[in-house]
Amino acid sequence: MSAELACLRLALLLYFAAAVAALLGVAVQRETPRALMPRLLGTGLVLHAAALALRSAHAGHPAVTTFDEALSFLALLLVAIFLVIQFRRPLVALGAVVCPLAFGLTLAADAVYAGARPLPPVLDSVWLPIHVGLAFLGDAVFALAFSASLLYLVQERRLKAHRGPSLLRHLPSLETLDRLNYSCLVWGLVLLTLGMVTGIIWAHAAWGQFWSSDPKVLFSFLIWGIYAILLQGRMIAGWRGRWAATLTIAGFAVLVLSLVGVNVLALGNHGKAF
Amino acid sequence: MERAIVLVGLNHQSAPVAVREQVAFQNGQLGPALRRLMDLEGVHEGTIVSTCNRVEVIACGTDATRLSGLLPRFLAGEHDLAEAALTGHLYTHADREAVRHLFRVAASLDSMVVGEPQILGQLKQHYAAAAEVGASGRVLHRCFHKSFSVAKRVRSETGIAEKAVSVASAAVELARGIFDRLAGKSAMLLGAGAMGELTARHLLAQGVGSLMVANRTFERAIDVARALGGMPVPWDGLARTLPLADLIIGAASGDDFLLGPAALEDALRERRRRPIFVIDLAVPRAIDPAVNALDGVYLYDIDDLEGVIADNRGARAAAAAKAETIVEAEVDAFWGWFTSLDVVPTIVALRDKLEALRHRELERTLAALGDLDPKHRQAVERLSVTLVNKILHAPVTMLRRHQADRAESFYIEAARRLFRLGSDADAMDDDDPEE
Repeated sequence: MSAELACLRLALLLYFAAAVAALLGVAVQRETPRALMPRLLGTGLVLHAAALALRSAHAGHPAVTTFDEALSFLALLLVAIFLVIQFRRPLVALGAVVCPLAFGLTLAADAVYAGARPLPPVLDSVWLPIHVGLAFLGDAVFALAFSASLLYLVQERRLKAHRGPSLLRHLPSLETLDRLNYSCLVWGLVLLTLGMVTGIIWAHAAWGQFWSSDPKVLFSFLIWGIYAILLQGRMIAGWRGRWAATLTIAGFAVLVLSLVGVNVLALGNHGKAF
Repeated sequence: MERAIVLVGLNHQSAPVAVREQVAFQNGQLGPALRRLMDLEGVHEGTIVSTCNRVEVIACGTDATRLSGLLPRFLAGEHDLAEAALTGHLYTHADREAVRHLFRVAASLDSMVVGEPQILGQLKQHYAAAAEVGASGRVLHRCFHKSFSVAKRVRSETGIAEKAVSVASAAVELARGIFDRLAGKSAMLLGAGAMGELTARHLLAQGVGSLMVANRTFERAIDVARALGGMPVPWDGLARTLPLADLIIGAASGDDFLLGPAALEDALRERRRRPIFVIDLAVPRAIDPAVNALDGVYLYDIDDLEGVIADNRGARAAAAAKAETIVEAEVDAFWGWFTSLDVVPTIVALRDKLEALRHRELERTLAALGDLDPKHRQAVERLSVTLVNKILHAPVTMLRRHQADRAESFYIEAARRLFRLGSDADAMDDDDPEE
């Protein structure tokens, strides 16, 4: 096993431990798992970053092009953003969604692990890290919005059903989750827009045309549309709560579909080149 | 002579707030009222406890029956009420029962919110007021101080305070599931009622920013709002003020629901669907249960809240049972001390003690003297008897003279301590500051 793979698997293990700690942290009174979760996750993040760096060094370009690299990179960004939020305000319940999600993504990356692949010369550009970085940052933020929305629906259901606050005591308030959803939507949309704009510029630089009917591009417009409508609704019509959470989850479902679909079916430039 | 402790009062269980507020003592009234209480014949010591949930008069005297008749009249008279106005609302506890009641109150076992800690502070305050005007004496001093230590024991040994599980705190806990923080949130109290006011108070104490009070009679709304530090709002204009409320507490019941889905849907639209937490404390219910189906409205009625509390109920019941055991043991201890305070048993104990001493010393002396003729023997014996009687004369006279007056317990205790009588010899005043 290469050093890179060893780092990745260790990170995977730590993500799993963090997920267990987060789930325990939601369910039990004791402080230990809640204190442990960010540490496990942080250590995992460092190892994960090391794995990605090793791979990039080996490949000679940012390792964000193949399907397994994409999954791995997305997990890395998700964990990093979550840790930033967690540092500002501990939200163990959010960790209980994010950690399993990050674990799942990394596990999938490990499952479809194919090793580095040479980059077509046409894509060897400074735009690669910029475009992919922005786009995936946007995806990670949307994943967080999804996590917050999922928690919102759980908490809202519990409150409606008059279930006591005894179990799952550490769920954040509806207000907190709704606000998080809003911030994530704003940031996610900004990042996605920038990702798309840089993509268009890069496409022009690489192929001489701004536009192609690449499935990923079409999907991105669809996703952008969904989130833009949702954000618009939130800002103008005062959408919030259950409805906003449901739409956020729907938007993320399309996002996942695009990510998996394009890569598994090797559609278009985004699917086959990388 | 008999001595008695009698407690007469009313609380949140025995009387509605309308009655309780009529007999409540304001701060300034307490001193003069205590003096008038002491002026009553047969009252040796007295203390008045007046909080928003209870008004109680505790008195020591010589005759329990007499005090039991006296105190309700006093309570009614102090507030210019006919005694009949309080019938059915008052409870009377005599002697052991009175002590137990006081201990239970101090330990917060008799509170509306069992385990809430404020009552102890209030009790201390009211006892201090009585001590200040000289209304409390040895007995109430010991009784109250004992009640404070009982409260401390109960709190530290049963953990009942941590489980101050109540409707009000359940409501607060649920509110935390909806709102990030309560600061800056507005609550609206619909109607009046003990539960509603307590919950509103609790919410304010937990940081809720402002409170609006609406009542069908605006004067009542003004009163309640003033008592709670809220703002009265007119009943007719509810549609205008309702959207401002993040929390709504329904406390008044009528033939019809106070709020229905239509009114709340309007409010929701007005507040751009920011969530509303609705607490319905009234029985029959004040708010149409259908509002819970609205997106953004979380309705909890009293049964739901009780259900929320029920999780912890087993633990709470166990804690309460343990607390009652502690109270019982402490009542026993206090009662042992209290009954020893009578003049007659004190004199008997004093005689017995000296008589025993006399016998012992006499036998020892006679044995040392060896063979004495009967005449000498009788002379020695007579000497001892006379000596004992002479020693006893002054204390016994003093005790008899002060029997049934205010100094009685002082002399009894002095005698018991000076001569080391009975149980006082070893277990006297463990918490007495003078020792």
